[in-house]
Amino acid sequence: MNGIHDMGGMHGLGPIEREADEPVFHHEWEGKALALARVALAGGHFNLDEFRHVMERIPPVQYLSISYYERWLEGTVALLAEKGVISADEFSARLTELSGDPS
Amino acid sequence: MSRVITREVVQGLYKRTGTARVDADVAASFKVGDGIRARNVHPTGHTRLPRYIRGKQGRIATDHGVFQFADSLAHGGGKQPQHLYSVCFTAQELWGSQAPARDSLYIDLWDDYLEAV
Amino acid sequence: MSDEDVALRVRALESLLLEKGLVEAPAIDEIIDLFENRLGPQNGARVVARAWSDPDFKARLLENATDAIVEMGYEAVQGEDMVVVENTPKVQNLVVCTLCSCFPWATLGLPPVWYKSAPYRSRAASDPRGVLAEFGTEIAADAEVRVWDSNAELRYMVLPERPADTNGMSEDELMALVTRDSMIGVTKALAP
Repeated sequence: MNGIHDMGGMHGLGPIEREADEPVFHHEWEGKALALARVALAGGHFNLDEFRHVMERIPPVQYLSISYYERWLEGTVALLAEKGVISADEFSARLTELSGDPS
Repeated sequence: MSRVITREVVQGLYKRTGTARVDADVAASFKVGDGIRARNVHPTGHTRLPRYIRGKQGRIATDHGVFQFADSLAHGGGKQPQHLYSVCFTAQELWGSQAPARDSLYIDLWDDYLEAV
Repeated sequence: MSDEDVALRVRALESLLLEKGLVEAPAIDEIIDLFENRLGPQNGARVVARAWSDPDFKARLLENATDAIVEMGYEAVQGEDMVVVENTPKVQNLVVCTLCSCFPWATLGLPPVWYKSAPYRSRAASDPRGVLAEFGTEIAADAEVRVWDSNAELRYMVLPERPADTNGMSEDELMALVTRDSMIGVTKALAP
């Protein structure tokens, strides 16, 4: 697809920002998000090409505004729903439960 | 087939188990040195053929052998095993005459992405 | 979304996968440990230091990188099919993945944020000399720049030039000069 992910040759995306002594993960959840995606891949629930494609399908504005591991997380959640492993309703119910927010 | 992921499974997984190489006897459409053009196609699904390569002419630099085809696997299709090549494009072919004459770009392209020139 | 909100979404996914029996908790820790502690540029640096020290190994590495790297014990996911390209005073190789974030995990670990970022992915292919300048890397006026867009399942690593005045240095000493960025091709190895 002619998506936002296909970036070669684009202009205007800013300077390359480097970080000295960059940690492998910037937040604990990042390592976990990566691990859960790998678990779903290794578990045979989807393949790597499907996983790349689901991230390409994230709407362009969102693709550019969320972080790398958020794309991994949202891609994993979306594909597991598409594959019937964890439904969207089940996921949002669990979110509500964990946040302690009854609304 | 899905399976439960245990620590033992993970330890086994992070050996080199995930090659996309396919042991299949598939004929190559091109050989090293051949001139090719990347097809000017715009599939709406997954592809590993970037826009900046489409319609451009290059030269086969290496034949990597037979690999499964990402464009098919991303959509529940079969492996469609086919040759994957390292293809060299000059910077000027890709970016125009103002690009440095000596520079080039190499990218891996499957047989289905290419046509003879 | 705040980091707390994202962290909550990760917890929700984790708890559902655990509850459904699709994963056991120690497996998750094992994956995180692998990426935090075992896969990283120290592996690639040892490969480079060996290549600088042992001409036969270097020849094998450039001929069949996958086998040469496995021979050193670096056998891991996203290193199944490796290619190593050599930088010389006349050739500067530089690696990018314009479509996503493909990177040789077996030798370099997970990529840094800048490698996965839109600015690098957009410009490395079309303006590699501009990118090199941004990294403060000077190349000879008559040098050739080769960009490797790693879009399929082969993973690319650069063998940087051995710095001057390093004769007689041990592999361990040489390793310290090999940075992750020099193995992506955006910088040179450090001077001793």
